[in-house]
Amino acid sequence: MAHAFGAPEWAASLRDTINGSSEYRNAAAQWGVGFDGSLLLVFEPDPGLDRPLRLRLGLAGGTCQSAEFVGEDAPSAAFTLRGPFVVWRSILERKTLAATAILTGKLRVEGDTMALLRHTAASRALIHCVASVDTAW
Amino acid sequence: MSSMDPLYERLQASVEGNVLTPDQFTNDLLTNFGQIHHWTPRFVVEPRHATDVAAVVRFAREHSIPVSTRGSAHSQSELAISDRGILLAMRSMGEIHGVDAKRETVDVSGGTVWRDLVHYLKRFGLAPRVLTNNLGVTIGGTLAIAGIGVASFRYGTQGDNVEELDVVTGAGETVTCRPDDELFWHVIAGLGQVGIVTRARLKLRRARAMTRTYYLLYDDVRRFLADAKAAMDSGIWDHLESWASPSPQGTKPVAGRRQVFARWFYPFHLTVEFDPGSPPDDRALLGGLHPYEHLYTDDAPTIDFFERLVPVFELWRKAGTWEHVHPWMEVVLPYDTAADYIDQVLPDLPPGMLIGGHTLLWPAKGGTSRSRLFMRPPGDDLVGFGILPAIPPRYWPQVRPLLDNASRLSILMGGKRYLSGWIDFTPDEWRAHFAERWAPFCAAKRRFDPDGILNPGFVPLLGGA
Repeated sequence: MAHAFGAPEWAASLRDTINGSSEYRNAAAQWGVGFDGSLLLVFEPDPGLDRPLRLRLGLAGGTCQSAEFVGEDAPSAAFTLRGPFVVWRSILERKTLAATAILTGKLRVEGDTMALLRHTAASRALIHCVASVDTAW
Repeated sequence: MSSMDPLYERLQASVEGNVLTPDQFTNDLLTNFGQIHHWTPRFVVEPRHATDVAAVVRFAREHSIPVSTRGSAHSQSELAISDRGILLAMRSMGEIHGVDAKRETVDVSGGTVWRDLVHYLKRFGLAPRVLTNNLGVTIGGTLAIAGIGVASFRYGTQGDNVEELDVVTGAGETVTCRPDDELFWHVIAGLGQVGIVTRARLKLRRARAMTRTYYLLYDDVRRFLADAKAAMDSGIWDHLESWASPSPQGTKPVAGRRQVFARWFYPFHLTVEFDPGSPPDDRALLGGLHPYEHLYTDDAPTIDFFERLVPVFELWRKAGTWEHVHPWMEVVLPYDTAADYIDQVLPDLPPGMLIGGHTLLWPAKGGTSRSRLFMRPPGDDLVGFGILPAIPPRYWPQVRPLLDNASRLSILMGGKRYLSGWIDFTPDEWRAHFAERWAPFCAAKRRFDPDGILNPGFVPLLGGA
């Protein structure tokens, strides 16, 4: 069932998708182990999105403990991936590779960039999970 | 018809070598080993000597025609091919002028093929200090890139082992230059941007008649890198070569699509030269190394060691993959990030991509090179890494993002791309690659090639410093 992007049901569906993904479980087995793996995805407004959306994920050891859209006053995350919604939508519709968007700077990384680069397979698998959620645009 | 081109007769009259026109071109002249770019030159000139090269450059300046140089065309980017310009096919200048056995040097023409030189030098008990894996390339060609081989951890690049060059500059002047001269280090690894090598005086070394190679295998990249560093630091090895070798294990999802994945192993080949009757002490040499397995020990004449990859290349030719697209992605990494980088790139590399190619690793010492334009990360301990695939042309668009991302990730992790392979830099990326050397390189281009006619289409030096 398709959920509206930005709705709590969409975030819950994403959590279930991540936890059901063997690709993510293997690729991210070391993500968040010995360090804070929480991640904030920031969808910046543009003509396709009238307000910013912030998706906060609790991630560790290949699993997702929490996924929720949060306000600006929510606790920060150890890592942030930030970019215009048009870039995100291109990724979510699988027209752009997430790794390419990160490596070319179309998605901006805040936090320990080198740690993220050391787990590119994990970030790619995560973005694939995000793109796999049945979305009503 | 060759006579149709209004400049043909004048160009032919200015040189002793052959001038070919498009009706005489063979297909191989229209591309290079990369098979990615296909350009048609206006003329191909096979120069007979340096005077011909200078005459072609002066002719090109007079008529505002670009000039590109081609050796064995092992390049994979916009080098060794020409789009409507003059292509100087330098293999016609392959003379070995003379050996100074006492000083251990040899003078060669720029179009000399390394294989020819190696076999010629055998009678003197001499060898070039550094040899590339593929000996079928020309001396002028590899000097223009840098020239890396399995002895580079001791001697640097091939360009670091040159005493003197004769160069025809983009101004059409013939200049003899040495390592103290500005021109010299803008020719070495200079991508043919400021001058064309017509003669090189190369440093040689005494070569023993035999080699012993130990074939070690590692199952852990970090243990391999630690042993590679120990081997370099020991000072006892003459040649070090390593690969990353996949063992396919099944399929797994990568971005949702199932593909074959592999367990990667790291073959490490360590070689010493020895005199017949005085074999090396295996136990002493291998003490302190920690391989997963010692697979094999091979004794071979040194000349056969130099040619060790010929059967591999012949296999690629027989399989037809020599004609595929070769977007080789080679990079020199800092030792500190090499394992992390390899950990990220290899697990998702489909082993099938490497049919007709392979994945190279080469331990290196940055301090062995004085080259200004062979860009490498700071620090002495470095690791070269290369994905060398052969891609059927129809799959190239599908594979390209993977290699693009491997290249970008390598740069973000402190690496410097090795420019013999497939390069698709933006102008900003070119500037970032050469960093503080960019402005002097641009200045040298303006000084020695004022009309910007040499090897256009690759590095945008005239776009501004």
